[in-house]
Amino acid sequence: MKMKRLKTVKSILWALVGAAFAIAVFRFWRGLGPTTALTDLTPWGFWIGFDVMGGVALAAGGFIIAATVYIFHLERYRPILRPAVLTAFLGYSAVVVGLMFDLGLPWDIWHMIVFWNPHSPLFEVGWCVMLYLTVLLLEFLPVILEMSKHPVLAAVYHVLHKFTVPLVILGIMLSSLHQSSLGSLFLIMPHRLDPLWYTPILPILFFVSAVALGLMMVTTESLFSAWLYEEEYELDLLQGLGRVAAGVLWFYLALRLGDLAARGVLPHVLDGGFGPNLFLVEILWSVLIPATLLTIPATRKRMKTLAIAAGMTVSGMVFYRIDVGGLAMIESTGTRYVPSWTELTVSFGIVAGAALVFFWIAEHFHLMHGGPMIKGRERLPDVTNFRPRLIRGAVMFVSGAALATALLPNAAIDGWPVVAQTVHRPGYGDVMILDGNRNDKGVRFDHKMHADIVEGDDKCAYCHHMVKPGARATGCSECHKDEHLPTSIFDHRLHQELLAQGPGCLTCHEDTSKPKDLEHSKPCLDCHSSMIPAGAAFKPRESPNIGLAPGYMDAMHGLCLRCHTEQDGNSSTDAPTLARCSTCHSGVVKPFDPLHPDQRLAAPKKDDAPKGDDPKAE
Amino acid sequence: MSGPKGILTDVTKCIGCERCVQSCRMANDLGTVLPFRWLLDDGLSAVRWCSVLRKDGKFVRKQCMHCLQPACVSACPVGALQKTAEGPVIYDSDKCLGCRYCMMSCPFGIPRYDWESAVPYVRKCQMCYQGRVSKGVQPGCTAGCPTGATIFGDREDLLVEAKKRIADNPGRYLPTVFGESEVAGTSVLYLAPMQLDLLTLGNKLDERPMPGRTATAMSAVPPVFVGMGALMTGIYWIIERRMKAERERAAKNGTPPTDAHGHGAAGHHTHDGKEG
Ligand code: SF4
Ligand code: SF4
Ligand code: SF4
Repeated sequence: MKMKRLKTVKSILWALVGAAFAIAVFRFWRGLGPTTALTDLTPWGFWIGFDVMGGVALAAGGFIIAATVYIFHLERYRPILRPAVLTAFLGYSAVVVGLMFDLGLPWDIWHMIVFWNPHSPLFEVGWCVMLYLTVLLLEFLPVILEMSKHPVLAAVYHVLHKFTVPLVILGIMLSSLHQSSLGSLFLIMPHRLDPLWYTPILPILFFVSAVALGLMMVTTESLFSAWLYEEEYELDLLQGLGRVAAGVLWFYLALRLGDLAARGVLPHVLDGGFGPNLFLVEILWSVLIPATLLTIPATRKRMKTLAIAAGMTVSGMVFYRIDVGGLAMIESTGTRYVPSWTELTVSFGIVAGAALVFFWIAEHFHLMHGGPMIKGRERLPDVTNFRPRLIRGAVMFVSGAALATALLPNAAIDGWPVVAQTVHRPGYGDVMILDGNRNDKGVRFDHKMHADIVEGDDKCAYCHHMVKPGARATGCSECHKDEHLPTSIFDHRLHQELLAQGPGCLTCHEDTSKPKDLEHSKPCLDCHSSMIPAGAAFKPRESPNIGLAPGYMDAMHGLCLRCHTEQDGNSSTDAPTLARCSTCHSGVVKPFDPLHPDQRLAAPKKDDAPKGDDPKAE
Repeated sequence: MSGPKGILTDVTKCIGCERCVQSCRMANDLGTVLPFRWLLDDGLSAVRWCSVLRKDGKFVRKQCMHCLQPACVSACPVGALQKTAEGPVIYDSDKCLGCRYCMMSCPFGIPRYDWESAVPYVRKCQMCYQGRVSKGVQPGCTAGCPTGATIFGDREDLLVEAKKRIADNPGRYLPTVFGESEVAGTSVLYLAPMQLDLLTLGNKLDERPMPGRTATAMSAVPPVFVGMGALMTGIYWIIERRMKAERERAAKNGTPPTDAHGHGAAGHHTHDGKEG
């Protein structure tokens, strides 16, 4: 069957466009988070690195060939002028479409026109894109209009045609600015960019490499469409471009190495490791091999080797831009960004869309050397019939979209699942101030200590993620059940036993006429007069007649902040010592000596462990 | 008001209680941190504009440095970020178009993004400009700090105070005030017993202001633009004239024009007439 290559290629392109479209829907619905792999550390990813940087670079062919033909009057390159200008136009459109995906607020892109910041390289890039896209449209419009018989369109055609040279010159001016300002963009990132790439001459390097890239882009494209439409290769023309490109590439290499030497980082090239190796691969790929192939006449004039050289220059210079735009930042930032398949698909989908437009124009207008690729060519019988092509395209589009939707992560479709996430390190620190009852009075909570006490795999879940509505963590009282209860530290039975001899009950219940309750009994401190250590940081707020210890809350609220404030400047109360119980309760708590209630026994009694320390016991 | 404001954080006085984080949250009405994929582990996020980093038993509060010559301000193509006269670097969400160039350019990695939102904005500490500092009230974080580890005041006074502390407590601090000259100075200053590399992102920077690094290239824009135009027009004119002369000479001699530039190969035979 005829034109099999074309059919297959177009089907794949339609599927890619469909997939990109499906992802686009979710990108705008759910935001960038679920549909990309971008992070706070790496806010620019593949869409900038490939679509924007690459798209602009590929468009370089447009102004190069326009300059060749119109300014330098090298008329024999006219046959590749139109495809080059169209590629530039489509490249720039791809940049704009790519940006629409990447910008957080793409509907606000017009802000660039209204709000100015001329200090920003991105401001310049934005304006150049807008203006140059317009210029390219005007430059290319005659190709479309010349087919029209309508008098108005014909008039427009003639006006545009008269202004070709000024438009071309304007295009060259904008392009040279824009190609270089894409490099200026990274001048403000010395902290991110590896010194092998970061240089004040980034804009110059970008411009020079764009020239080589543009020449080779035109070459690649001519070879590819000739292959696709099974036409003759215009080798004679192309090898001429190759010769110029070789010169530019060697010049670029000299600039690049000279700059490294001038900044004294040239020796680092051989240091090994990620950065230097990336650099070597890039130089080999983008300059050394293709420039050699293009310099030797034998390889330059053969289709295969020319194609290899052209392909390597194009991909190599896009590689250079991707390095500057991201890869050369990996080491300094330690980012672990890897483009998600969704990002890749959108990018390739945009390229695919541009390619389809290119084919369509090639098939219907005087784009290529031989005029329209379809009209009146009897070797393309089936494609003049519109419907089967449309149906094939639509089927592929829908399949692509369906496949992409099926593969999308849940988050992109349902939004972010917040409940079933794995548990991360606490959002607060080791020690935090908790304000459980939201009364603006915090208590100091030692998170790390609690995390250390509670062991096991599910230790975090012990307090967190107990699925309490609106709550992130379990309240303290969940474990410390007596938190808000004054806790009795008085053991009546023990006292009964110990005081059986002597005055017995009357030891405490002195007045037999009164009821025998706490209120009418002797205060503990009468016997245990040193129960509160002299240097205690925490003094009871109530009378010293205690029978009840204060609840945790009172105790804790009184503890940290008050003393920190009172004792400010005293180095012995610096954090974190003051927070420890032992700062006040020095030593193990020993039981009282029954015979001398004001003294304690020498050793702690067994199974007298303090209550409430082990939340698991509850 | 007097001079530009600033914040001084004394690392040796911080007890790591994160009261500042809590106060910032209250002052700016920030939401809950959810364990999203894109967060860095420094604790900052679109809903946490300050955090406390822990290193070797020391606590270092992190927030926007409010650079004197901010990279983010010079980078933003629409001027959504501005350095105010009072010192704070503030953000105008009505201008932002979400390019995230500010995030790429900040040498401290401060600005964060609402990645989960379909209408995302850039988020960072504003030194509580709108609600507080512009009204002469100190920021939430400094107001909330229980130990006075982070304080607010005129940047000049804070520098004097910092140097006084260094002089009064020999051995307690490194003898430099972090932020006095880093990237040409910041409104937020630190006193610390150790190097504060943990506050910066990526390669170590010198004291050159960040915006200056693009300024040379940007100032070359108009001359390059005009120069390129002049150059191209000139070349066009010269070659055009030479070729015209050549054509005339050829016409006089009656010979066909020399086809050095391959006139015959002109592309579109159907429209050769128009193509000129
Ligand atoms: S620290 Fe970053 S975000 Fe803050 S003012 Fe400086 S450059 Fe801008
Ligand atoms: S993301 Fe917004 S604030 Fe940041 S540079 Fe872009 S437009 Fe300016
Ligand atoms: S100055 Fe305001 S916004 Fe910045 S960290 Fe402090 S409280 Fe938060």
